Amino acid sequence: MQFARRRSSSLTPELALWAERIEKVARGYGLDFYEIVFELLDAKDVNGIAAYGGFPVRYPSWRFGMEFERLEKGYEYGLSKIYELVINNDPVVAYLVKSNSLLEQKLVMAHVCGHADFFAHNCWFQATDRHMLDTMGQHSTTVRRLVDRHGLERVETFMDAALSLETLLDPYLPLRGHLAKTKPTSLGAPPTYDILGFLCERAPVEDWQREILRIVRAEAYYFQPQRMTKIMNEGWASFWHSRILTGGVLDASEIVDFADCHSGATARAPGRVNPYKLGIELFRYAEELGHDVFALRRRHNDASLIDELVDETFVEREMLFLYGKNARTARTEVTDRDWRKVKDRLLGELAWGGLPQIELVAVDAHGKGELSLLHHHDGRDLQLAHARETLLRLSAVWKGPVELVTREESEGRLLVCDGKEVEVSEIAAPSTEAPTEQSGEH
Amino acid sequence: MFRIEVDRARFREIVRGRIRQDLRKYLSNSELIARQGEHAVSVPIPQIELPRFRFGENQKAGVGQGPGEKGEALGEKDGEGGGEGAAGDAEGAHILEVEVELEELAEMLGKELQLPNIQPRGKREISTDGGRYNGVRRSGPDSLRHMRRTFKAALLRTISAGEWDPANPKVVPDREDQRYRARKSAPVPDSSAVIFHMMDVSGSMGREQKEIVRIEAFWIDTWLRSQYRNIEVVYIVHDAVAKVVDQNAFFHLRESGGTKISSAYELALKLIQEKYRTEDWNIYPFHYSDGDNWSARDTERCVALLKDELLPRCNQFCYGQVKSAYGSGQFKKDLDDALGGDERLVTSSVSDRGDIAAAIRSFLGKGR
Repeated sequence: MQFARRRSSSLTPELALWAERIEKVARGYGLDFYEIVFELLDAKDVNGIAAYGGFPVRYPSWRFGMEFERLEKGYEYGLSKIYELVINNDPVVAYLVKSNSLLEQKLVMAHVCGHADFFAHNCWFQATDRHMLDTMGQHSTTVRRLVDRHGLERVETFMDAALSLETLLDPYLPLRGHLAKTKPTSLGAPPTYDILGFLCERAPVEDWQREILRIVRAEAYYFQPQRMTKIMNEGWASFWHSRILTGGVLDASEIVDFADCHSGATARAPGRVNPYKLGIELFRYAEELGHDVFALRRRHNDASLIDELVDETFVEREMLFLYGKNARTARTEVTDRDWRKVKDRLLGELAWGGLPQIELVAVDAHGKGELSLLHHHDGRDLQLAHARETLLRLSAVWKGPVELVTREESEGRLLVCDGKEVEVSEIAAPSTEAPTEQSGEH
Repeated sequence: MFRIEVDRARFREIVRGRIRQDLRKYLSNSELIARQGEHAVSVPIPQIELPRFRFGENQKAGVGQGPGEKGEALGEKDGEGGGEGAAGDAEGAHILEVEVELEELAEMLGKELQLPNIQPRGKREISTDGGRYNGVRRSGPDSLRHMRRTFKAALLRTISAGEWDPANPKVVPDREDQRYRARKSAPVPDSSAVIFHMMDVSGSMGREQKEIVRIEAFWIDTWLRSQYRNIEVVYIVHDAVAKVVDQNAFFHLRESGGTKISSAYELALKLIQEKYRTEDWNIYPFHYSDGDNWSARDTERCVALLKDELLPRCNQFCYGQVKSAYGSGQFKKDLDDALGGDERLVTSSVSDRGDIAAAIRSFLGKGR
């Protein structure tokens, strides 16, 4: 499978024919994408690849094994089944599960065309590595070499530490670099959100460890745009699969099954937001309002698209609401249906790719070589147990003290890690304002 | 999918390390028991996760989609997912179930409690009529003819008779050359054992006491299963009378009334005599009670039964006394006084779950 690029495709002649037809219809609607290579695999192999984040080859890690175990269990018990798996690469590689029906395969192929177009044109993906299949393979080789040289335990321990830090990046960095027509580089100096980049350049680690940091950072930046455009990406793909299939690819006898399958994927799950559903409705709404959907899919991420489109009508029509815990009854309840509040909440959750916004504000502020981190609190607290463990690992990589300023509710907290322990103390609350929002639209 | 299997194996190794580390914890709670399959237990472990900066517990709020008035409860999906934005970080809540073979669990138990393997009792071997056709003989039905051997024999005879002609390599099997497959009955080492779990279910044995018995019984079964190929388990409950019940009833039945321990011993003895002959079976009776018996006379009867009938037939007889609010704990004392010198009898007392490991160790630590 690692030779997917050299192999034309493992489709049956019938599926190959359909793939060709569906791609043609998709291009007819104005979708535009790199060549798509479909691989037909059985469920177990698809689970294996899914555990690797869509790639047939990754560096060795128990985490992937754990994910595989989870997917296999889910499949075994009939709880979950992977329909589609597609990776952003040139050519785009998409996996089809053998056991799916022909109708399901058609739906997935049409859906993949949507994703492929999105990868090719959404601005957040412009700086991603389009040969990631090869790059992942190189990373794998590198790490295996390091394991041979330094032993599994050492490499694994450091890799786990690095992976704990993989969310410490600046989601806007690659796009800024892309717009400035330069390779995205970290300045290696605070203040920065690209803490991984800072560590790659400044952490006093051995060469092989630096190599691991670089690998973890490169992969984290590769996956970051998918985090930031989950709703859009799925919405766009669903929007188009629906149109492609009902626009002549399916015959009348298949329409009812299609509707069943489609509505299953885009169902409203009670009490949560289904990205497929929210996404497809956003694009349909945009079309109704007379927006150019192709321009929207190019310029936006989830947060900025919602900012642009969501209004009272949309919130009402989609029955969006806020929920929260009622302290008195200990139940989770619908707390509000005011569209402004719903929109604010959505924006807040999506703004930083759904991650806590943590900035490296200073190095060596107290003369002990320490890193000073600031959590920009937006009403959501950090989970402190995790934060402590993460600081310990950060400190191990930095080989020096590390501190983090955050808040619990409205009270300020200072976590100081000397490399062995983390002490938490109360401080005056840091300013509540998040830093100036960087606009997502370009 | 070779690579992912390697990663999975590594993950499982890490998990086994965790279970080994936490074995004492599993020894004192019933988490594993409900998850026992035929050959494996699925052990729930909190997903081993990498620490990350992530949002914490005040996130029981978010955006949802659907009907419902203000103030209406969301139903059982208690805030799950926390809206789309948080979905990527929801991994913390997962519990993963990992299958561990019973054999492996027994091995961990053995290591943790330093249990010796059970020494075969005497040289008894029972031969089984295992239907394996791996022998050869000179007569038999045609349907069992062993072509290769027959040809080989014919070839040998041809060559040694000097009739072999390489130019015309013809070999004709004679009647004496015929070889047939034959069933070979190999003596299989003594491999059957029967466990009797006897429990006092009189009024004084409460929920917690039964739970302790349940945990002990689970681990004892697990260990003995790893030592014998063929295991049968018999459950007996008694108050003033004893009866055989199934596993489920054994742990959940609650009778009330007096306690006549000899009733259970008599029933076990009867079963041994009828069904589990000592020549064929290794016999392990376990008896659990809170130490109260009906009368001193009945205790005498128990001692006599043990001494004359049960102990000579058993590999080891174990009495586990579980402390309850009402039990006097007299029975263990009586047994120890009367039969303390006999190494076929092991008694232990458990006052809370923390003592379970020690009790198991004293039962199984002798390698009998």
